[in-house]
Amino acid sequence: MSEQTGWLLDVYTDEEGGIVLWLLTDEDQRLRLRMNFPVTYYATGEFNKLRQAWAYLKEKDVRLERTRRRDLFAGECDVMSVTIGNPSHLSGLFMDLSRRFPSLDYYDADIPISLRFIARTNTHLLGRCRVHLDEEWIRQIEPLNSPWEIDPVPLPLRIMTLSPDTDPAISVPQNLKVQCGRDHFSMPLKPARPFLLGLRADLNRYDPDLILTDYGDTWLFPQLKIWSEENGISLNPNRDEKKEVLTHRADSYFAYGQVIYRGAQTHLFGRWHIDRCNAMSFGEYGLEGAMEQALVTGLGVQEMARKSPGAGITAMQMLTALRSDVLVPMHKRQAEDTKTLVELIRADRGGMIYQPIIGLHTNVAQIDFSSMYPAIMVKHNISPETVGKENALEGLIPRTLRPLLEKRLMLKNILVDLNPNDCRVDLLKKRVAALKWLLVVCFGYLGYKNARFGKIESYEAVTAMSRELMLQAKEIAEDMGYTVLHMYVDSLFVQKNGALKLGHFTDLLENIAEQTGLFITLDGIYKWLVFPPSKRDSRVPVPNRYFGAFQNGEIKARGIALRRQDTPKYVADTQMGILRILATSADPRKKNNEVQEYIRKQINLLKEDRIRVEDLIVTQTLSRPVDAYRVSSPTARAARQLEAHGKNVQPGMKIRYLHVYDGSGIRAWDVGDVQGKMVNVKQYIHLLKRAEEEVLDVFKKATRNASFAFRQVQA
Amino acid sequence: MGKTVSTITQQLNETEAMLAPFRRTLRRSDQYIFDGIFAAARRHIAAIGEVESLLPFQIALLAILLEQAKDISVLQQELEELRSRYE
Repeated sequence: MSEQTGWLLDVYTDEEGGIVLWLLTDEDQRLRLRMNFPVTYYATGEFNKLRQAWAYLKEKDVRLERTRRRDLFAGECDVMSVTIGNPSHLSGLFMDLSRRFPSLDYYDADIPISLRFIARTNTHLLGRCRVHLDEEWIRQIEPLNSPWEIDPVPLPLRIMTLSPDTDPAISVPQNLKVQCGRDHFSMPLKPARPFLLGLRADLNRYDPDLILTDYGDTWLFPQLKIWSEENGISLNPNRDEKKEVLTHRADSYFAYGQVIYRGAQTHLFGRWHIDRCNAMSFGEYGLEGAMEQALVTGLGVQEMARKSPGAGITAMQMLTALRSDVLVPMHKRQAEDTKTLVELIRADRGGMIYQPIIGLHTNVAQIDFSSMYPAIMVKHNISPETVGKENALEGLIPRTLRPLLEKRLMLKNILVDLNPNDCRVDLLKKRVAALKWLLVVCFGYLGYKNARFGKIESYEAVTAMSRELMLQAKEIAEDMGYTVLHMYVDSLFVQKNGALKLGHFTDLLENIAEQTGLFITLDGIYKWLVFPPSKRDSRVPVPNRYFGAFQNGEIKARGIALRRQDTPKYVADTQMGILRILATSADPRKKNNEVQEYIRKQINLLKEDRIRVEDLIVTQTLSRPVDAYRVSSPTARAARQLEAHGKNVQPGMKIRYLHVYDGSGIRAWDVGDVQGKMVNVKQYIHLLKRAEEEVLDVFKKATRNASFAFRQVQA
Repeated sequence: MGKTVSTITQQLNETEAMLAPFRRTLRRSDQYIFDGIFAAARRHIAAIGEVESLLPFQIALLAILLEQAKDISVLQQELEELRSRYE
């Protein structure tokens, strides 16, 4: 028996039996190890059906047992356990059984193998472990650290970056840029034969742990497969040469109120592949964030980079269930309780959204409850199985969230103490953001119709508690002489004569924290802040639209053009430019002349063709199939142009276009051949003026905080 | 998203749509005041929502009265100031 220590890179099932593990050892080796790993799933239901299922399975290569297990809601129940020696056969056997006996309830049947492995061995992906080996077989494995460690030893990853010299959706790439360590070079893609041989040699030479690509999912790997077949050159980008690459087809799905398109995916075995252009939140928290999520959720880095945080939180809940011997149902089985109309009106409400006082305000503090909803779930033990019960043991959801919440808080505390120029700040921010998203979606999953451990009443309990706490905070602030200008879900905007510095708000924060039992922090003090009125009626406030300048000059804006994804960069940059000028003064109204001069300059740049065409692109999401558009919106017109050019167009895809003079007034960017002289300058000036008005109008007109405004009618 | 009961904003919009023929028949200057009535209600959507009422428009009327009372009190105050200046 030998012993090895290192980091766990990858876990997956092996057709030859058991599971394969890849260990990055302390000696910088990459070891392919194997482990026996029988897996079990459960079935329950009508006794006769269960007996028939038993008889059917007896002929198969499985071990059957009658046992008792705990369902989260129903408690202890009799189940048939089905244990399979080779985990790669589980999916096929289960599909076969569930087709024959659809009326039975199944549990633990679709748990990812990495989660089963983590629950059983207490190790974790990307974590450190010690293995005792008998040749390639693991006889014993033990964890050497925890996913909740704040400052783990970083993985010494070898990263290879591959990117084409152009966006393949627009024009055919000619070269592939390769970077590995200090080496970077470019490889011509044609002729294909020497390119394939060269790439194969580079993969062998560098042996990367992570292949980071641009368009790897949607172009490079599918293309490599075609070229290698055409040229008869085998090229397996996996580290595990016994495996074929795993591809998932492209799909469109509906989530968070919008249609999302997910391109085809290429997953590798023994090493990871991440396509930066097809990774869900890569822009926000990057590789470090995806790795942090993989570490705490137990899903692989390749999955976490592409999936929504919802998949991550579901995995964490499964892990908690497995560790607590609670069955994981295949589908959600908790329907909403019956309610009277009055009960429904009472319960079916969201967070506290107040109506702000319209206009310009000075010296405003924004205070936020930190991770308010998860903190409520943990503090008040809100979980699907505990809601409405007094003195219940800690529920599955709070148990899942507690370490996550604590880790994020500790990382945030470290961040607060660091100098902003410290090299660790960027990495820490990404990890904090990645954890934040897991916490954010966890609340939504309590009420999500497909969440296995969801129950709408627990979701409603959280929002009800949050509204109550916000009202408590408002009352405390008002008792202390503050004016509450606005409240939005978990933040309050307050103002008081003479309250200008952090120290002036300490009492308020302490009082709120003491009474509510939740952490509340000062987000910042605005030297000025604007709540603009509705565009439709200037007497109506808008809850989610505001902009202002903090005392340190930093700008914060919500709900205005520069925050919307369909605003061209040129317009967004100009709006930000206006805000930057306004932010230099304690009274933004005094900056009007400077702003007007700046806008004139920006318009001249546009007229003189000195704005990059790329900065004029409008990006919108295609919300349905092109044929389903009854009104020919600019997005639909651009999508039709793409189709006419033979491009694949699916709902949820981002469609990029320009406003142009000729034809339909729209030119799809990905059709290619777009020149500056085509640009409809008037339309962009119109967009710019609209963005300008959005910010400046509130300074021009007298603010109407009287809703009837009799005086205006009389005037 | 995912709500069964329509929100106060939706219910106010529905009431306003229902009253559209009434508004249309009003003089333009009255239409502006009429819109102000709904603007007054919309300033208190959160507060209206906190009341578990089957008829939220009743509470909206109270919000409208509140805004009217606020306007009156502002006007009164201004009047007093003017009066004290000239007396």
